[in-house]
Amino acid sequence: MKKAALFLTLLLFGAAVIAQETFPVNGVYNKNHLVYAFINVKIVADPETTIEKGILLVKDGLIIGVGEQLQIPKGSVVYDLKGKTIYPSLIDIYSTYGVPEAKVGPRGAGPQMESNTKGAYGWNQAIKPELEAYKIFSNNDKSADELRKQGFGTVLAFHKDGIVRGSAALVSLGSGRENELVLKDKAASMLSFDKGTSTQDYPSSLMGAIALLRQTYLDARWYKDDKTKKEYNISLEMFNNLQSLPQIFESGDKLNALRADKVGDEFKINYIIKGSGNEYQQLDAIKATNCAFILPLSFPAAFDVEDAYDAINVSLTELKHWELAPANPFAFEKYAIPFALTTADLKDKKDFHKNLRKAIRYGLSEKQALKSLTITPAELLNISDKLGRLKTGMIANFIITSGNLFDEKTIIYENWIQGNQYKINDYNTIDIRGVYDFTYGNKTPTQLKIEGEPDKFKATVTLDTAKTPVTISVLGNLISLSFNLKDSAGTIRLSGDISTTPLKLSGKGQNKEGEWLNWSAVYKSSAPAETKKDSAKKETPAPGEIFYPFCAYGKQAEDRKGFDKAVNDFKNRYDAILIKHVTVWTNEPEGVLKNQDVYITEGRIVRIADDIGAPKLAFAKVIDGTGKHLTPGIIDEHSHIAVSNGVNEGAQASSAEVRIGDVINSEDINIYRQLSGGVTMAQLLHGSANPVGGQSAIIKLRWGKSPEQLKFEKADGFIKFALGENVKQSNWGDYNVIRFPQSRMGVEQVYYDLFTRAREYAEKQKAYDAVTMKGKVPAVPFRRDLELEALVEILNKKRFITCHSYVQSEINMLMHVADSMGFKVNTFTHILEGYKVADKMKAHGAGASTFSDWWAYKMEVKDAIPYNASLLNQMGVTTAINSDDAEMGRRLNQEAAKAIKYGGMSEEDALKMVTLNPAKLLHIDNRVGSVKVGKDADLVLWSDHPLSVYAKVEKTIIDGLIYYDIDEDKKLREEIQKERARIIQKMIDEKKGGAPVQKPVQKKQKLYECDSMEEDYLEN
Amino acid sequence: MKQITIILSLFSFVSVSAQIPSTLLVGGTAHLGTDSIIQNAVIGIKEGKIILVATTSSAFNKADYAEVINTTGKHIYPGIIAPNSTLGLTEIEAVRATNDSREVGSVLPNVRSLIAYNTDSKVIPTVRSNGVLMAQVVPRGGLVSGTSSVLMLDGWNWEDAAYKADDGIHINWPRMQTRKFLDEDNTELGPFEKNKEYIKQVEELKKLVTEAKAYSESGLQSEKNLRLEAMKGIFNGSQAVFIHADYIKEIIEAVNFAKQNGFKRIAVVGGKDSWMITDFLRENNVAVMLSRVHDLPQRAEEDVDLPYKLPYLLHKAGILFCLNNEGDMEAMGARNLPFMAGTAAAYGLTKEQALKAITLNAAKILGIDKTAGSIEVGKDATLFISSGDALDMRTNNVERAYIKGKSIELNNDQKALYEKYKAKYGLK
Repeated sequence: MKKAALFLTLLLFGAAVIAQETFPVNGVYNKNHLVYAFINVKIVADPETTIEKGILLVKDGLIIGVGEQLQIPKGSVVYDLKGKTIYPSLIDIYSTYGVPEAKVGPRGAGPQMESNTKGAYGWNQAIKPELEAYKIFSNNDKSADELRKQGFGTVLAFHKDGIVRGSAALVSLGSGRENELVLKDKAASMLSFDKGTSTQDYPSSLMGAIALLRQTYLDARWYKDDKTKKEYNISLEMFNNLQSLPQIFESGDKLNALRADKVGDEFKINYIIKGSGNEYQQLDAIKATNCAFILPLSFPAAFDVEDAYDAINVSLTELKHWELAPANPFAFEKYAIPFALTTADLKDKKDFHKNLRKAIRYGLSEKQALKSLTITPAELLNISDKLGRLKTGMIANFIITSGNLFDEKTIIYENWIQGNQYKINDYNTIDIRGVYDFTYGNKTPTQLKIEGEPDKFKATVTLDTAKTPVTISVLGNLISLSFNLKDSAGTIRLSGDISTTPLKLSGKGQNKEGEWLNWSAVYKSSAPAETKKDSAKKETPAPGEIFYPFCAYGKQAEDRKGFDKAVNDFKNRYDAILIKHVTVWTNEPEGVLKNQDVYITEGRIVRIADDIGAPKLAFAKVIDGTGKHLTPGIIDEHSHIAVSNGVNEGAQASSAEVRIGDVINSEDINIYRQLSGGVTMAQLLHGSANPVGGQSAIIKLRWGKSPEQLKFEKADGFIKFALGENVKQSNWGDYNVIRFPQSRMGVEQVYYDLFTRAREYAEKQKAYDAVTMKGKVPAVPFRRDLELEALVEILNKKRFITCHSYVQSEINMLMHVADSMGFKVNTFTHILEGYKVADKMKAHGAGASTFSDWWAYKMEVKDAIPYNASLLNQMGVTTAINSDDAEMGRRLNQEAAKAIKYGGMSEEDALKMVTLNPAKLLHIDNRVGSVKVGKDADLVLWSDHPLSVYAKVEKTIIDGLIYYDIDEDKKLREEIQKERARIIQKMIDEKKGGAPVQKPVQKKQKLYECDSMEEDYLEN
Repeated sequence: MKQITIILSLFSFVSVSAQIPSTLLVGGTAHLGTDSIIQNAVIGIKEGKIILVATTSSAFNKADYAEVINTTGKHIYPGIIAPNSTLGLTEIEAVRATNDSREVGSVLPNVRSLIAYNTDSKVIPTVRSNGVLMAQVVPRGGLVSGTSSVLMLDGWNWEDAAYKADDGIHINWPRMQTRKFLDEDNTELGPFEKNKEYIKQVEELKKLVTEAKAYSESGLQSEKNLRLEAMKGIFNGSQAVFIHADYIKEIIEAVNFAKQNGFKRIAVVGGKDSWMITDFLRENNVAVMLSRVHDLPQRAEEDVDLPYKLPYLLHKAGILFCLNNEGDMEAMGARNLPFMAGTAAAYGLTKEQALKAITLNAAKILGIDKTAGSIEVGKDATLFISSGDALDMRTNNVERAYIKGKSIELNNDQKALYEKYKAKYGLK
């Protein structure tokens, strides 16, 4: 198969210029082998090579010579291009040109568990490796012309649909038969995280898409190695065939680019990533991917912010992105990240050069711009021997311009593609732009001004100071003008011709009475510089600083400016802090200590004593803690903040394969908001849509760091399970009655089935490993299954369960399942009827993570009581209070305090429920959860008793660094206001300058709770 | 309609005045709800009314009262009022059969919450045991969601629980920006979009109000129109208009609309952006029934503590406001109203100002402050005793509560389950 594909590729490439050989001709053959010679022309052969006065020779669609002194063969067609410039035609390797748009097929009202694709394909409808753009590509001259006008000669065209999108074809933008235009049938393999038109439920989330892609790689490799071929699978077959091609991944967002790269690293693939335009906001991490990028030039329009009430709905992120987006290509250049540029994402392809010039004004060098439109894309697709520069033997794709391609005044005259000429503007058009002394009939001389572009002149007549527009039309040397000065002459219509040296327009015309009159316009001077709005645009832009994260309450990196690289490595910085005379809630046997000094440095608690002298480190901060309280950082055992695109992968009863760790959103404002409530760590959990949810992520709330840097090092693996109404879809409406289970009886069976399969899987793996360890190759390869792998980890006590649960019967049931399978349920979360089975939980060894006082929101919480935490705690069950809610997460101290009211818990025990106990449940109490020498300096300084409703967080410290400070917060608020005001002023100027604007609409952030489905948003 | 109301109030009078013992509370701190405090207080209750508010040093006669309670070291508060609530209309949110807060249609002024109020709701006892003793019970949904009533959180049936029947009409001001469902199942929500129906919806409201006004002035109608009939009170001041709006422009539009149409008494409900237009609100004498204090800011760039300090911002600007708890789990969460006031006290208000925001201010906005909302002579004896600061969950412990002088049951199903399982495990 591979050989055949290769042969086909060669054939097509070789055939590029003689493709019509096999076709019958209606009429006489019109073929020639003439040489076309372009002489006296400036040739920019590539970004590094310019010939000031050179010759370009083209024959049979190929370049046969480029140089200063070349022999022009006799009988050549010669074009004298004095004063003009030739560039290689541009290449866009991210285009849907000529490929029909995918349409969403029909879908029933209920769940769709299986693929709708008929045939021997794989199980998931979003995996479409069988899509082959070259087979459905058809030439569309109108679209091609749009791109030709911008100087493009070649594009990579693909079918934009699905997670695996099949192969893209390299096609020429000529207007001939497709047989001539397809330059390379399978030029790249296309991927994304977007399931496109797939109507199948799975994946319903970004993490599901990632898991699906990972499993597809594993399956494809297994399929390739499996010689027995018990299953024929077109999808896997085709997917394997794609692997030798360059792999292009559409990210859609800077964080998704990092996510794609992570998948790539796992399977040793270096993706070419199609960026979204906001990559400059995370450049260090983007650089670290070692990927090449394809960058769009679609920049957001300014918002209409003149109405102050509307303007409050535009976020700082949007404001700043508007200002900084044009600097994205420059940032890549500065960081030496290879990138190509694309016309993709532009609403109107005509904006391409305008936006490119904007990027150049923001710092992108012209050389890099040209490189990113020629050599880089050619190299990325391994076609630089054919395209991308002007060199003998290469395909004759070039453009003829009036000058520097990146200059606003420059006109693209012609675009030659495969040696065929496509005229865009006639360079023989006489440039009649200028100011003229204008007379007609017996009128006193006035002034005629002609401006605009050669294909679209604009003219005005000025009498005294009044300006009147003139309709002007030019065809070759013929010219006609008409205007109405609102005087007795009425509408004047003039016709005539253009004579050059000196430039003069003259002829005859008629007034409203039909009387003939003579007219002439004698060239006086060039048209004056363009109006003010244009000169304003020319100013070198001074965009603001990058905030980390790129939103309100983000901070500038302290050790860098703009896109200059950091001098110091940020992560190695540390503070030294001495807090004096503070009341310390240790969570240790010492209990609450009054009037203590606490010294922290290098991220750890170093000393706790009555009186610690002044620290030796010069940069140490000393904080007066008189009257204040110091507690361990709050740990939220159950949180759904900081998750991108879906917290539930709920299409199937088990989604053990998905990982919240793949979709951490380090830029969620709720991280900062939780910090303001003293939260230092959180377990980000999958939702509760299915009995086995996904793997969770344990993070420290290191605001400003990248997703990977938020993850807590060396944390044990956890996974979300769920029971009850959510997993049996009780409150999902009348259509959702298909997915198994629909009753608590079925839930138990899901577990027994899964763990039985997981056991068998582990046995199979053991047997396989036994063979391979002896150096032998087993007859049947082992198929890695990400879902079962996670379950095997549970059986092997390498992964631990946090189980969403409410009623006593189901809690009991799961403990029985676990006991019979030889593992423990680590934590029951929510667990509002835990008090009914507290003795059983204690015996099993399960912990509880519950709400303080939620109830009555659904049937299964009818018996929920606020005394639950207190009862569980009294029964010796490790009990935590969690939030499951971004709002409540930032006042968990208040929620813990309710246990004092409901059930009379001691204050120290109550505080432990949001600090030490969750640390125990997450197996991290050796590092966090108490104030103890040697532990991580994750601390909160409170203004008051930490369990009092009147307590405010003054400082939140993580790893010894202050991430939230009530005083700094005030400064940040002022900065936000100033920064907003500055950019809004700039936007208003832009609007006054005539730039298009968009209406502000408030973007409300989606908050996730257990029940939130990305596609099915349900109330709790 | 009017007739019915009169009969109703008669009923309620009769039912509560029957055999209520007289009570004297002696000692402790009385938080009057008026922003003032009395240490070593004595409070006398007779026939459901407060007849004495003084200090222990003043002259009073214990023998005048059937019961004397020593409240030394304790705190006495006026009953907390939960305005804009669905308490009694909903039992278990996800179970459709237990929900009576929404009716079909969009203009439903004639729909009355009063008659659906379930005095036997298991939720109510859990709310009043934290000191919340009255609620304005409000229908939800549509442009005009219906007519609310103020109810006491104790009663045999809605007739004797009614405190002020049909107190006001609730208008949900049309949203200028909306989110639409993207699918047929009404589960997938799209991004915020400009509400293209906005003008149409405002026109619909205008037409309704114009017609209602004409109807109210025209005397007898040959054919009764229940919707217009239900709105008569808003033009003569017997009923208030509660306009629910959060976004700054919506609030301004709503207030101007109310002004132009001659509504006698109005309040903005929600008012998340109200802090930005306090001058406008003050000039128009508009009160705000402020949205949930325990909430996240609406916009990423807003002050992280904005919802916490909103009460203070309105107080500082001299706007009459009270707190409400509309949102997820609103009925059962009403028991946290005192703690929301506590949070407001942590973020700018004094504790007494914060208390006022859930007692007297609420009574003023509901138009019941002549008889309720504070501990003052002549008012209904609706109050409670807590062993500690009631605004702090750490110390809130309601030991006794009175509604119109009658001591009410503070037990609830949750406490019963607690006791049951304590006994099972042999815990003390």
